[in-house]
Amino acid sequence: MMLTLFARLYYVQLLDPNKPVQTAHLTHNGNIVVPAPRGLIVDAQGRPLVANTSVQAITVSRDLLQRRRDKGAAVLTKLAGLLHTSEAQLAKEITPCSPKVPAPCSTGEPYAPVTVATNAPTSVVLAISEHREDFPAVRVETVTVPTYPNGSLAAHLLGYTSDVTVADKKTNSALNDADTIGASGLEEQYDAALRGVDGTQVVQLNPQGYTVGTGAETAPRQGDTLVTSIDAKVQKLAESSLAQQIKDSRKAGKPATSGAVVVLDPNTGRIIASASYPTYNPTQFIGGISQTEYRALTDPAAGTPLLDRAIAGEYAPGSTFKLITSSSLVTHNQITTSGIYPCPGSLAVDGRVKTNFESEHLGPINLRDALGYSCDTFFYAPTAAEYYADQSRLAKGQAPNEYLQRMAAQFGVGRAPGVDLPAGEQSAGSYADRETRLARWRANRASYCAAAKRGYPDVANRASRTYLTALAAENCTDGWRYRAGDNADMSIGQGETTMSPLQLAVAYSALVNGGRIWEPTLGWAVVDAHGDVVRTINPKVRNRVPVSATLFRYIADSLDFSRGYAVSGAFAYIGTKYQNRIGGKTGTAEVFGKQDTSWLATWGPTSKDAKGNTKAKFVVVGMIEQAGTGASAAGPMLKRIWDGLFGANGKPILPGIRPEQTLPKIAPQVKVAHR
Amino acid sequence: MTLVAREPKAPFSLTPTLMPLGRRERGYDIPLAVTALALALIGAVLVWAATRDAQLAAGANPQSFLYRHLINIVIAAALMLAAARLDARLLRLFGPIVYLASLAGLLLVLVAGTTINGAHAWIRLSASVELQPSEFMKLGLIVGMGVLFTRRSGDRDEAAPPTTLDVILGIGLIAVPFGLIMVQPDLGSAMVLACAAFGVLVAANVSPRWTIGLLLVGIAAAVIAVKVGVLADYQLARFASFTDPQHDPQGAAYNVTQAHIAIANGGLFGTGLFNGPQTNGGFVPEQQTDFVFSVAGEEFGLLGGGLIVALFAFLCWRGLRIAREADQVGRLLAVGIVCWFAFQSFQNIGMNLGLTPVTGVPLPFVSYGGSSMFAQGLAIGLLQAVHRRSSA
Repeated sequence: MMLTLFARLYYVQLLDPNKPVQTAHLTHNGNIVVPAPRGLIVDAQGRPLVANTSVQAITVSRDLLQRRRDKGAAVLTKLAGLLHTSEAQLAKEITPCSPKVPAPCSTGEPYAPVTVATNAPTSVVLAISEHREDFPAVRVETVTVPTYPNGSLAAHLLGYTSDVTVADKKTNSALNDADTIGASGLEEQYDAALRGVDGTQVVQLNPQGYTVGTGAETAPRQGDTLVTSIDAKVQKLAESSLAQQIKDSRKAGKPATSGAVVVLDPNTGRIIASASYPTYNPTQFIGGISQTEYRALTDPAAGTPLLDRAIAGEYAPGSTFKLITSSSLVTHNQITTSGIYPCPGSLAVDGRVKTNFESEHLGPINLRDALGYSCDTFFYAPTAAEYYADQSRLAKGQAPNEYLQRMAAQFGVGRAPGVDLPAGEQSAGSYADRETRLARWRANRASYCAAAKRGYPDVANRASRTYLTALAAENCTDGWRYRAGDNADMSIGQGETTMSPLQLAVAYSALVNGGRIWEPTLGWAVVDAHGDVVRTINPKVRNRVPVSATLFRYIADSLDFSRGYAVSGAFAYIGTKYQNRIGGKTGTAEVFGKQDTSWLATWGPTSKDAKGNTKAKFVVVGMIEQAGTGASAAGPMLKRIWDGLFGANGKPILPGIRPEQTLPKIAPQVKVAHR
Repeated sequence: MTLVAREPKAPFSLTPTLMPLGRRERGYDIPLAVTALALALIGAVLVWAATRDAQLAAGANPQSFLYRHLINIVIAAALMLAAARLDARLLRLFGPIVYLASLAGLLLVLVAGTTINGAHAWIRLSASVELQPSEFMKLGLIVGMGVLFTRRSGDRDEAAPPTTLDVILGIGLIAVPFGLIMVQPDLGSAMVLACAAFGVLVAANVSPRWTIGLLLVGIAAAVIAVKVGVLADYQLARFASFTDPQHDPQGAAYNVTQAHIAIANGGLFGTGLFNGPQTNGGFVPEQQTDFVFSVAGEEFGLLGGGLIVALFAFLCWRGLRIAREADQVGRLLAVGIVCWFAFQSFQNIGMNLGLTPVTGVPLPFVSYGGSSMFAQGLAIGLLQAVHRRSSA
């Protein structure tokens, strides 16, 4: 028996020709990813909007801690004291994630050091560096984090980055847990260019996975630079003027909850500035945002600071929409530019009395004055007539023309503007027509009828309650019906008509660029580390609106501020040096349950081309919610911007009062010190 | 004639005063004790090597298994010394008690046992102390059978073959614990138990009709068990992976494959203590218990492994020598114990070498584990007791 065992032992250890090989040798290699610094985002002059800086980060090596008798509890307790957190919290953060380990946990390789604090205060760094023996396995490392040299400037456009999630890795296998990924705005849109290529640090691991040495290191390659068409100075002016106006309007007793400004180059489709109020500090997102902070940024009570109202907001454009209404009515010969039409103080449409703003009565006027004084009733009659014409076409079995709706669509209403931002961050705007009305009624009839039955017991205001209940009752039975009043509402940019400030800027650009509807852009070029342009980003012309140059010339002339008090938008600009060089249209949109939205769409400095068509270098659109009339709030707000552009108090911001047309020279990147 | 120091029917005492004076002069079988101790100390080093790195990795004391193994050796040695002082009369008294106590332990396991590695075989005494009654049952059965088969010959040395009734009672003695251990299920321990009991039957001069018959019944039962599916799945998987090691290399055969790699890489001299990559890497599961032999194979090579085999051979030879010189009850005990050690060490080293299927039995003295060490210490003690009272 024992001989058998010995013989077998002899065979296994010495004779066996097919001895199994021990493959798990003393060490094997592991890779620690060294994240690449993200590329910069710069403005049209090459000034950084997002830069990188080196900060001190505190990292903890869990595998080194685990080898200590107390599993590093003492070290973590001491470290937690410095970082004002708890030992348990730190222990959780450095434990590798697994199905049994819920967040917070470390998503990196088990042997890679885990960052427990970025941008650590100098006092903490010193405390750790001076007492190295008290903090084994704790290291102070230099890492690059984004910085915002201009604070919150253009925060909505730049967006923010976040840690890589499981879903991200599914869509892009090259992503690593140590990376940051653009999560919104330009950071998301141009993430592939900005992210760069991660480096690797090879480490030798023993069979238990503990680091025993380091090997070759591949340096990370910083991401490319994104040059934008944003001009930091114009952006700054737009934001400060917006904030100033919010303050002034509030002082005047208006809620003035929020607002937006867009500055667009109508000839190239490039966005020069885009401001939204309230705004936020993008540094909050560095290294991950807390739940509390994120809730504050998305809290409606705080004005949803994260929402970019200039591009992702949707508001009734009010009278600024009359550009589109006039284009439609004249193009389809429903009115003429030489005709005189009534402008009564009120008009009954479809059995409902609709009034002018403050029931102003102007008598019979032409289109020029209807636009200049912004008469609403002027537009009611032809658009109501259009409605009835379509109804008789329907009765005859023909499709309705719905000229106004088709023209609105040509100007880009109801379709995302196609700006180079993530799809979820640009709104399409909307308008009502027979088809959408019917579809919506079919989908919502049950809830309308239920609301009508229930009333609105939770609405305190009795008048509101009665109105809402009546509205629900009407929607329940007749919600499918598109009425003459709806068409009249649309003609003055009310009812279900909404646009974002950017969409309105794109529409007004068509007025002064020969009818081109741009898909506007923020990005201008991607420049690599050598300063060479990798690619240029050019806005596309989506379509040309079917409006004659003659009509556009007529409308632009009608709204030129040189006409003084005959143009409502000119009020704030009368007496300025550049009064004769700009034009604009006000809007005062009524919103149920709220005060009016104040709009102003302007263009300038104007010039005439050979054919006498009006040209402009900039289109500037401003909007403030719940701030009163266009002339009273948006007017002074945009005046400060125009003052800057024209150099009313010194030199013009942009030399020659025109947008920058040549790409800035981007210096080759200096290698960013890392780790 | 023998001189009796005291009235034989005096109240029992643990002092060996009941021992015939003429035989008291015989001492201990020192080579036997030294062999067992050597195996246990080799075991201590191997257990240390097997657990050191994993303990380090877990942040625990790397010597903790070494210390506990050494403490087990000390306790086992004390038990050996105590058992060595027993005589036949005390055995007769204790025999049934040992047997019944072990049986009670097995029953307790069924009711309140702890499951380790698929077998419901442990009684948890405290957070760190667990007893495995099946280890003591081996000893209890040998002693119980020895006492049963010699009850009519009493203290006398004359052999009297067991009657049919004795044999049937004996089979009953085997069947009950065998069944209980199979239920746990711990096939390895049950087979060791059967093997030791079979040795006692043969040594007791039971008629070949019985022994050969039992052997045939046992084989038939095994075949039926496999066919009908009485065995647990993991046991069948182990058999399947034994016949085909590639059957499930990550599952049942993993242990065998990893142990094979470790031993094969040992060569003639081994990699040296603490230098076995397979051992340090923790690739062989259960390496400090059932697969402790693979540590010897890897780190001490053919020489180390051969030494362990040789020590077992020597141990068994010493045990058989004691059996040959002993009286009837002594012979039965010695043969039973030798069969136990021989079969269990063969089975354990065999499975490390891929010769026999994997069944969870530890390598006597060498493997880490208190219960088996204590039972084996008591067994060596009993061998010593038999040796001390056998005629020169």
